[in-house]
Amino acid sequence: MTSAFSSSAPTHLNETPKPLKPVRVGLIGLGKMGVAHAAVLSMIPDCEIVGLSDHHGALGKSLRGMGHRAPFFRSPPKMIAKVRPDAVFVCTQSDSHASLARQALEAGCAVFVEKPLAHTLEDAESLAAAAAASRLPVACGYTLAYVPIFAAARHAIAAGAIGRLRQARSSMYLSQTFGPRKGWMYDAARSGGGVLANVSSHLLFLLQWCLGSPVEVRATSNRIFSQVEDEMHAMMRLPSGAEVGFDSSWSVPGYPYSAVVIEVEGENGRLLVSNDALELELTSEAGGYPPGATRLREADLPQPARFHVNSEGYYLEDADFLRWATGGPAPPITLEAALGVQRTMAAIYESAREGGRAVRVGG
Amino acid sequence: MSASASPAPRLLLGTESLLGVSSATRDRTLQVAARFAEPESLAVTFSKALAMGVDGVLASPTRTLRQALDELKGAIPVYALLPNVPEYVRDSSELGLFGAARKRFSQARLAAQLRLVLTGMARAAGVLASDFAALVPLLLELEAAGLGARDLRGIVLAAPLTDLALAGRHRRFFERYCRFVRGRFRAAAAFETRNLGHLIAALDEWGITPDFVIGPVNPKGLLMKPSPAELLEALRRTSLTVLAQELRAGGRVTLVEGGRFAIAAGARGLVPDLVDLDEASELKELSALLAPPGAKAGRP
Repeated sequence: MTSAFSSSAPTHLNETPKPLKPVRVGLIGLGKMGVAHAAVLSMIPDCEIVGLSDHHGALGKSLRGMGHRAPFFRSPPKMIAKVRPDAVFVCTQSDSHASLARQALEAGCAVFVEKPLAHTLEDAESLAAAAAASRLPVACGYTLAYVPIFAAARHAIAAGAIGRLRQARSSMYLSQTFGPRKGWMYDAARSGGGVLANVSSHLLFLLQWCLGSPVEVRATSNRIFSQVEDEMHAMMRLPSGAEVGFDSSWSVPGYPYSAVVIEVEGENGRLLVSNDALELELTSEAGGYPPGATRLREADLPQPARFHVNSEGYYLEDADFLRWATGGPAPPITLEAALGVQRTMAAIYESAREGGRAVRVGG
Repeated sequence: MSASASPAPRLLLGTESLLGVSSATRDRTLQVAARFAEPESLAVTFSKALAMGVDGVLASPTRTLRQALDELKGAIPVYALLPNVPEYVRDSSELGLFGAARKRFSQARLAAQLRLVLTGMARAAGVLASDFAALVPLLLELEAAGLGARDLRGIVLAAPLTDLALAGRHRRFFERYCRFVRGRFRAAAAFETRNLGHLIAALDEWGITPDFVIGPVNPKGLLMKPSPAELLEALRRTSLTVLAQELRAGGRVTLVEGGRFAIAAGARGLVPDLVDLDEASELKELSALLAPPGAKAGRP
């Protein structure tokens, strides 16, 4: 009966990662993302949540009310000093990521930071310097790397299925903002921006992971409802000269959940990946894919997560980070990768501020 | 913990895809949402489904669903899937958790508001301590009032909440939930989960017997946690009543193939969603799969 579940689709996401030895975890920030990570971490073998921290005492009460019994601290440094975790998850608003992560690194902890890495490029670079000095693992929560359909797309591109890249188009949409909104996410000084920083930095990560980092960007943005950008449009140029289109909005109806589409044209054919499916149309056999059309759905791919919260992604992401933190291989979501996303994001915002002028990434 | 006297349903028509919760493609989900945008078309489908042998509808509180239930002349058996998580998440991201709760309270009828106050007072200590086991009954009161079902047969806790309590190994929550639903609503107490193997193991270990649980079972292994093999083994061993959903594995198998697989694996009931149906007559085929040998599927 179980053989019916075997999958031969090519992807690197075939096995369930796990810590290589028992690991003690502290969790800072107990909002929506903190709750999701607490649930996932509770279900990873050899992982123990030993401390919880948030400035808001009510959130600590709330998480303990869900059955989590780890001691709660309002002060993150106190939590780190008292329970001495091996790894810390930082799930707070973006403007506190870098300082909290640095405190954890100084205490000798591996660090997982929710995305984006920081609210400014300067903060992200200072965190990168601290991480380099500590030589401790630091990862960032770009969870789409662990969604099987996107992992399979990246595998196909890396394996050379579509050949040399000609051009690509991409989009990420969500129905979230249709009027004036409150909260840190809508305050650029705290979040770093609007839809790009808070939502479609996920897409930037995927593009960078699949196609490489751009060298130059041109961008325009729109504010429709809030104080931050509700739409962002960009063209990115890769070192090869190939152009990548990028379109994102959190103010379009019809997307109760975020939806990603990436379409890539190469010398051997075309690849289209979305939350729904991976489609390839190839001229000749390459990268383990036959010539002609191939269509894969999530049910055709291995789903190695052992606990489901929102998607396969959170479990695999957290478990892969903890494997790294306990001596295993580095995951795709390293600080270096996240810093690359942050540099592209900073260039896009600069270009958008200057009316679409071409801006070099990182420079 | 004893189960309620009413038998568990065997065939429920799910409507979660109308909330946007679906493993079908985005196009298919939008197509179904458009088709059932009018309460009348939903009401007609519910009537047809009952005629095809469905025991009831698994429904969350939305305006369209409430209007569809009002539209029907006779009362339709409703198993309320609570809360409406996507709407609650949307509201709470703008208004905060308390703001979202306040919005529901202000929209509830006076009787429901009074009932909520009583439920809250009975659990005051737990509410003040933010205990899930005390807060969830308040949420259920608010949301059940919003559905307005005339024939409420059961309350099914939506998967995101079940799975949070499961991850917290909150045994007392599961016990109290069952007691509260049976006592307050005189209805079946059930859980929906995306982690069926884990939930079966925990409930069996704790000796807790809800009236049924709903979770993914399909021939492709989609959403079958912790792994398809472990879930199948759990289904083989458990005495819990399990109703299978996600039968079509996101559209990779037919509804009947999915139903046949789930029943062979030990599921005692099926929950096809509106998004899974190509023809209403497929419900009759599922009903036939569930019927004891010799019995006729559907209703006369």
